Amino acid sequence: MSERHLSVALKQPGPIPLDVEFDCDAGQVLAIFGPSGSGKTTILRSIAGLYRPAHASVRSNGVTWTDTASRTFVPPHLRAVGFVFQEYALFPHLTAEGNVAAALGHVPHADRRLRAGQLLESVRLGEKANRRPQELSGGERQRVALARALAREPAVLLLDEPFAAVDRQVRRSLQDEINALRRTLDLPMILVTHDFDDVVRLATRVLLLEGGRGVANGPVTTLMSRPDLAWLREAVGLGAVFEATVSGSTDHGLMLLSFEGGMLLAAERHLPTGTAVRVRIPAREVILAMRAPEGLSLHNVLSGRVSALHSDPGLDHVIVQVAVGALLLLAEVTQDAVDRLRLAVGTPVHALVKSVSLDIITPARD
Amino acid sequence: MASLHNLLVCLLAFAGPVGSAEALQAKRAPVVAAAASLNFALTEIAAAFEREHGSRVELVFGASGTLTRQIQDGAPFEVFLAADEEFPKQLASAGLTRDAGIVYATGRLVIFAPNGSPLAPDGQLTDLARLVKTGKAGRFAIANPEVAPYGRAAEAVLKKRGLWDALRASLVLGDSITQAAQFATTGNAVGGLIAYSLALTPEITARGSYAVIPDGDYPPLRQKMVLLKRAGPSAMQFYEFVQGGIAKSILRKHGFSVPD
Amino acid sequence: MDWSALRVSLWLGAGTILVLLPFGLWLGRLLALQQFRGKLLLEALLTVPLVLPPTVLGFYLLVTFGARSPLGQAFQALVGQSLPFSFQGLLFASAIANIPFVVQPIQRGFEAIPADVRDAAACCGLTPWQRFLRIEVPLAWPSILTATILTFAHTLGEFGVVLMVGGNLPGRTRTLSIAIYDRMQAFDDRSAGVMAATLLVIAVATLMTTTALSRKVGVRRV
Repeated sequence: MSERHLSVALKQPGPIPLDVEFDCDAGQVLAIFGPSGSGKTTILRSIAGLYRPAHASVRSNGVTWTDTASRTFVPPHLRAVGFVFQEYALFPHLTAEGNVAAALGHVPHADRRLRAGQLLESVRLGEKANRRPQELSGGERQRVALARALAREPAVLLLDEPFAAVDRQVRRSLQDEINALRRTLDLPMILVTHDFDDVVRLATRVLLLEGGRGVANGPVTTLMSRPDLAWLREAVGLGAVFEATVSGSTDHGLMLLSFEGGMLLAAERHLPTGTAVRVRIPAREVILAMRAPEGLSLHNVLSGRVSALHSDPGLDHVIVQVAVGALLLLAEVTQDAVDRLRLAVGTPVHALVKSVSLDIITPARD
Repeated sequence: MASLHNLLVCLLAFAGPVGSAEALQAKRAPVVAAAASLNFALTEIAAAFEREHGSRVELVFGASGTLTRQIQDGAPFEVFLAADEEFPKQLASAGLTRDAGIVYATGRLVIFAPNGSPLAPDGQLTDLARLVKTGKAGRFAIANPEVAPYGRAAEAVLKKRGLWDALRASLVLGDSITQAAQFATTGNAVGGLIAYSLALTPEITARGSYAVIPDGDYPPLRQKMVLLKRAGPSAMQFYEFVQGGIAKSILRKHGFSVPD
Repeated sequence: MDWSALRVSLWLGAGTILVLLPFGLWLGRLLALQQFRGKLLLEALLTVPLVLPPTVLGFYLLVTFGARSPLGQAFQALVGQSLPFSFQGLLFASAIANIPFVVQPIQRGFEAIPADVRDAAACCGLTPWQRFLRIEVPLAWPSILTATILTFAHTLGEFGVVLMVGGNLPGRTRTLSIAIYDRMQAFDDRSAGVMAATLLVIAVATLMTTTALSRKVGVRRV
């Protein structure tokens, strides 16, 4: 299996400012996260060849799709790109099957219907092949759009705010669907979103975008443990995100999670032992103590060391980063507390977390 | 989609080449331009021509001035029967005719009043003068003097009777003598000055009454016809026919006087 | 009923559509999809035939292509006949007079296609020509049909330009609308009445079709 790889570099001062550079490997989901108007959709369109920035370089699997330096430009219909548009952009005059078949130009005519049917089956829409988009629900349309994007046998899958138009419940099941696909497809996937929930649930890496400029790029866990990303803090609220494994249950209805650095107790979710999950601990929910306390209601006391402190004039508190084994936790603490406890880099400290504060995200990363 | 289907059916039903090329022109019936006053007379003459010679002509009627303009702009007429001598002269000077042409008839002007009109037609226009004096003249129809010789004659008559200035503002100008006759007969005007040849036709006679204007009251309407440069043999045949005995008697019947 | 006049009218209507439709598809789509300097001016110019009296158009055509003009004489030398007073000339005049009836509806039809649907078509691997035929035209189809029918009906009703440029030549440029006028001049109201009724029926049928079609356009949007 060839290693599919996408590398992108875009730069222009205007009319839409852009300044990003990133890679995405097969099997990875890169989430491009930023507020509305930060140029996220433009990046996707540039990868697809629907937009041409002043300076751009887009390479997929070693094939150059765009290179302004050498004036190379492959038109969008000749790029193996699967694009799921924000409002799905289904062809209203064609059935679900027709929509998917439109992308099957590379398949011999006789096989197209069959193949389209198979693709619709894979997104659980087999019986609705003959329906028009008007007759489908929002979630069903999204799945047709997905099937159509995959029909091209693309080298890269692009998703533009794919869950923006659906409600919470449908969103969850769609997220799971994409996760399942990620495992089977082995493609670089790029997901644009302004909802951090998508990032936490789906992404392996995050590119943070502000005004068209990439301000941070890295694995989700790493980025979420950085205390200094002011904009992220305002948009989402800080809190470490990390991987853990379910290792059992207690007699008292709590779930045991083990991570690289210790154990945590969380509210029971009846997950089988060995399930991999992602855990998010909002910084606001973390209390620091110099000594391990006794007689408290909470269950989680983690020992570690202060690894970083961050404050800026706009903040009325300090963000303290605490290293607990390989995990970097964040805690929001008042300046007064910092002074009283004499917190500094290297100070041993205990981090206290209520079991109910743990946000468990399943299914998890592989 | 239904409309498109119907259109196709219609097209198939009426299919036929439309358009002309030089080759076709030889086989086509020659087009004859004729003054509007000849509307009924020439139609009869053309029918007689077809009976006599077995060939057809197409007739296009209009004001002599309008037809002259069209000929100057390249209209493919082969014969032109005007209602005066001036317009054919213009064409001859421009080199568009075979020769100077020949007077084929002299026309007459009549005053016409539709049934129910307050106007009582008389050749001296005394009743019209009366209406003008009492301010009850209303609208009066003539052909546009600029394009129709009969309109020019009407203007001359009205000027001679001293009624031109008074009536000017309420004149209805027809773009041809037949349109003037339309206005004069439909009751929207108290009456009008129209061609004798039109007043004699049954359709118009039924609609009102008329009186002939004395010849001396306007310059004679000597009507000239010419062969145009592109006239073919069929056209020339028709040109001769109009000067022949059958045509002359038809013209006389319609109120024209013809040269012997 | 003057059958040759009916034939000329129908051929003029059909001919105008045949000439203008490819032009309208190309220009309408261009205006819908592209922005460029002077676009506003172009759109205004294309609307001019709507507001100008037909006689103005007729006048300029006669002046430009009549036998007294250099262009007209060149044409005559080349083709053997003058452009005015021929069916071809009439077709030419009719095409110009109908440009707004063709271009505007088609432009609206293409404008109504969401941009991301077109983009999605490209991302499906469809070439520009395939996108046009399989996605854009089917979606703009009601507008294209409206343009066709409107143009046909408008052409049937044309009088001023036809009279000035065509000259009422039987079998060549005497359309049904001219024939009605012609018969009235000859005090033949009966014939005029039959032909007028025919034109009226065609006009009503046209309006009914366009109304039904415009309802269909609404359904297209998802």
